[in-house]
Amino acid sequence: MDNDNTILLGAVAYDPKVVTIWEGIREHFHEQGVPMDFALFSNYERQVEELLKGHIDIAWNTPLAHVRVRQQTKGESLSLAMRDSDRDFRAKIIVRTDAGIKSLKDLEGKTLAVGSSDSTQARILPLYFLRNEGVDLSRVNLLPFDTDLGKHGDTGTSELDVLKALQEGLADAGTVGDLVWVNEQAAGHIDPARIEVLWTTPGFDHCMFDAHPALHSEKVEAFRRALFAMRWDNPKHRRLLELEGLREWLPPREEGYRSLEAALEQH
Amino acid sequence: MSSQAAVIAIDGGELRLGGGLLALVRPAINSLEPGGMLALLSRAQSVRQDLPSWCRAQRHEYLGVENVADGVERHLIARGEFSQPRRTGQENSRLKPRDGKLTAADMLATAPLPSHADPATGFAPRGALVEPGGELYPFTVNDRDHVAPPEVAALYDQAVSAQWDATRDIPWSKVEPLPDSLETALAQVMTFLAENELSALYVPSRFIARIHPAYAETAMFLASQLADEARHIDVFLKRARLCGGGLGFCSVTTSRSLLSLMQTDDFTEATFLLSVLGEGTFLDLLSFIERHAPDEPTAELTRRARNDESRHVHFGLAHLRTGLAKDPALYGRLEGAVRRRATALHGADGVPAPLQDALTVLAAGGSEPQAIARGHESYRELLETMHLSRIKRLGHAGFTPEQAERISELHTPNFM
Repeated sequence: MDNDNTILLGAVAYDPKVVTIWEGIREHFHEQGVPMDFALFSNYERQVEELLKGHIDIAWNTPLAHVRVRQQTKGESLSLAMRDSDRDFRAKIIVRTDAGIKSLKDLEGKTLAVGSSDSTQARILPLYFLRNEGVDLSRVNLLPFDTDLGKHGDTGTSELDVLKALQEGLADAGTVGDLVWVNEQAAGHIDPARIEVLWTTPGFDHCMFDAHPALHSEKVEAFRRALFAMRWDNPKHRRLLELEGLREWLPPREEGYRSLEAALEQH
Repeated sequence: MSSQAAVIAIDGGELRLGGGLLALVRPAINSLEPGGMLALLSRAQSVRQDLPSWCRAQRHEYLGVENVADGVERHLIARGEFSQPRRTGQENSRLKPRDGKLTAADMLATAPLPSHADPATGFAPRGALVEPGGELYPFTVNDRDHVAPPEVAALYDQAVSAQWDATRDIPWSKVEPLPDSLETALAQVMTFLAENELSALYVPSRFIARIHPAYAETAMFLASQLADEARHIDVFLKRARLCGGGLGFCSVTTSRSLLSLMQTDDFTEATFLLSVLGEGTFLDLLSFIERHAPDEPTAELTRRARNDESRHVHFGLAHLRTGLAKDPALYGRLEGAVRRRATALHGADGVPAPLQDALTVLAAGGSEPQAIARGHESYRELLETMHLSRIKRLGHAGFTPEQAERISELHTPNFM
């Protein structure tokens, strides 16, 4: 895989904008003197497989894909960088104000709309944390929105489905990521008299650039140098950063994935 | 917001994040200085959960919450390092009308011109707070001293109040048929004026889109100049059409001269060639036509056009004086521009003959030989007057008498 000096990066094409993002970042890398190319996959399972086989050098992974890479490489994979917005992610339990839900325990006997089964923020972790809080999930009527499976919740479609289900009265409560929740409120899409937040989960970390364990250290350093050179106040970079949902790239950290590891073990 | 604060406290009452609270929080944060802190009092329970998430999304730092009274919490937020607005120019002061009036010059005094402008502030008006990271606009005239003399706003004010109407303000009904030779001469003169004024409409328009909006007064002045030129084209062509024989002749000398003007890519050089040398020379030409006008409408329209043109010359001179005072190398550049243009026009044999003849007949008041002799004498005096006025004007702009003499002699035989 080190037979030429081009870094081959994998990303999942969950939206047409992914092409714009990576074409732009590729151009930026070239300007930085770092040859990079990218391959797009339709789902994270395939992307992880190709990374482990060494067909790509680096994968831009969801938390679920990251944890799987860590497990399958027995912690040998290299974590390179994450977005600022990937740190301290939280999920929200939101409720209809007319549902009579005042505490987490009140969710029992009610309908809880949840996002895709492979969405960390809209399904896996909120349910894990509810269980930890003593909610008996067998007594909660789950209304799942399994849209865009394989994309690990990237599209956010299932979170918007959850909000819609609450607005339309199909569910009493729902689980969404904090960014979707505050952004929808800031955009004026939420009627605060009808839907409000009940509970916020503990924090967890989100996406990560995972590199194959054997990736040459020169490529690792070149990748980081070029990535961290992107700046919010540079108009060319800013467009890409906005599309990718961040203001600055940050170094990796592993402790933010403990809850997800535990949730997957429980499963 | 007149200045930026280190700490701001606001009361959010019972507002929830999705219920309007952000309309108080966001402006408060924007008025904080970098690193400043916002204290938000709130009676809404959900704010405790939503505000930290909003801060995370916006990269502000949520510092925590404390109970200050029964049901009232105080949240603290440190302003994040992203999206710090930048001011386009200096701090604004409050505008005050004088004698019930507000002029552009008053506005300029309230929000002074920055010495340099950043193309990334785009169309943000001067004095606004601009979010950083905006796209780079293709503005290339970004230095105050090369675009906006201090007088520009006052000149714009004058221009606006001096606008007139080419349809009603000229006593058109007083136009009577003239002897053939005079009609032909007048139509030729008006054709020449219209052709040159068309170039004066097009040349400044090329620069408006390049001037940074921080110097909008210059763009606005040029807009008034374009309106002036449009009116001049209108009246000159109307006067020509009122002559029975239609329009006159357009020469290759004029065509070459105006093309070289249009191909000048530097704003200061173009202003110099068009407004100081070209329109400056036209002031004497228009005086000449007014003096020898065969009727009142012709005298009136040339008088009005001359008033407008003198404003353009005034702007050109102010522009030049400011530029030359700050950048002495400009003298050489401007002389170079005149030389290059003269080289491009090399071979052109003096003032276009049809114009020369028409001006002579106009000054003669007809075609009678003795009158023509007087007309020819007047025409020769006109050329001398033009040369002397150019030297005087160049002296006002700051050129030495020797430079002024050289430049005036190199000026186009087309006048503009």
